[in-house]
Amino acid sequence: MEQPNDLIIAMQNGDEKAFSRLYTMYSEAIYGIIYSIVLDEKTAEELLQDVFIKVWNNASSYSVKKGRFFTWLLNIARNTTIDKTRSKAFKNTKKNLSATNFVDILSSSDSFNRATNAIGLKKFVDALKPACIKIIDLLYFKGFTQVEASKTLELPLGTVKTRNRTCINELRAMVLG
Amino acid sequence: MTPEEIIASGNLELYVCGALSPEEVTEVEEAIAAHPEVKREIELIEESLLHLAETVAPPVQAMTWTYILNSIRNVKNIGDTKIRTLNWPAITGWAAAILFMGGIMWMLKQTNDLNNSLQVTTTENTVLKEEKATVESQLAENNKTLEILRSKDYLAYTLLGNQAVAPESFAKVYLNNKEKVAYIDVNGLPTPPSGKVYQVWSLKMEPLTPTSVGLIDPENKAGEGIYKFVNFPTQEAFGITLEPEGGSQTPTLSQLYTLGMISI
Repeated sequence: MEQPNDLIIAMQNGDEKAFSRLYTMYSEAIYGIIYSIVLDEKTAEELLQDVFIKVWNNASSYSVKKGRFFTWLLNIARNTTIDKTRSKAFKNTKKNLSATNFVDILSSSDSFNRATNAIGLKKFVDALKPACIKIIDLLYFKGFTQVEASKTLELPLGTVKTRNRTCINELRAMVLG
Repeated sequence: MTPEEIIASGNLELYVCGALSPEEVTEVEEAIAAHPEVKREIELIEESLLHLAETVAPPVQAMTWTYILNSIRNVKNIGDTKIRTLNWPAITGWAAAILFMGGIMWMLKQTNDLNNSLQVTTTENTVLKEEKATVESQLAENNKTLEILRSKDYLAYTLLGNQAVAPESFAKVYLNNKEKVAYIDVNGLPTPPSGKVYQVWSLKMEPLTPTSVGLIDPENKAGEGIYKFVNFPTQEAFGITLEPEGGSQTPTLSQLYTLGMISI
């Protein structure tokens, strides 16, 4: 998918319509990332709002010449969500988040956004090797750096890179056909 | 590194995840700019990860977007002076409201001023009416007096000024012998100094016997400068002297202002 640079530039110039279209394109995925961390719909909704308000207010800090817009969104979403999980109020309500990953969410949830797509993915994800689930969860959903992932998984850096590539390739084959 | 090596390195996946170190980011970005196939690969990785995250998301509430939109509209112009827009309808509305308020204040002030001046005018009117009534009654009184003096029953005498005291003074006496009524016109006399009063005397010559007729005071006033006396004794002469307030038993001849003889 080519990045919609025209829409991004329009949004940076204050175009609400362009912002609305970017929201439609990216909000579900960002919501998925946030939800996989906080595991609470109400909190995740609030964080999604906060994230997109930040996107609008700080739109000028992104440049289409540098980095992917989606990666920029991911960083805002993860930072906002992690700040929230560190807050006292949040800690009091949620105790053991680290034990859950995206596959747990998929297998425990009945209602998904894109039902058909989800069913196909669900089958695939069930078939994903536990090692793949772990590495994608850390690097993509939880926002670990490769060094942090390497330490957590007790794997050399090079192995983290190649395993991550292999796992995402498998995902690609399934998602994009 | 060749494009193929970069694609196989696993750095592109980490780049999309945001997990790459800054030096490697620069390397990847240079490769993206130089090789379309690297860019294409990045796009495919991104798309599959996007789908994966979407799958995990519960349904997004429509209200979420409404909330975002309301929030950004409220803070739209804060810290962004470049695209500050003027809300002309609102400005026009406020301007109209301010003008309207100003107009109302001005009209209230006008009404207030008019009310005040109306009150003043009404007061003036009342004063003028009173003055008019006074003048009219005075005029009627004067006319009545004039009517009386003109009648044939009254005879007029002029009392001339005493050369020693007041050579320019004079007084006029209108006498009705039958009814013993006299009107005395003192316009020719100077205004008496404070604490003093004019007293009218009737004089008998042989021997000189003065009889007080009365004081020139408001009690006897019959018109402007005209005083009325009843039971006026008919004698040979009249005189007017200046006396201390309240009058005297006998005339102070040194202060005799006017004197006139009557030829009966």
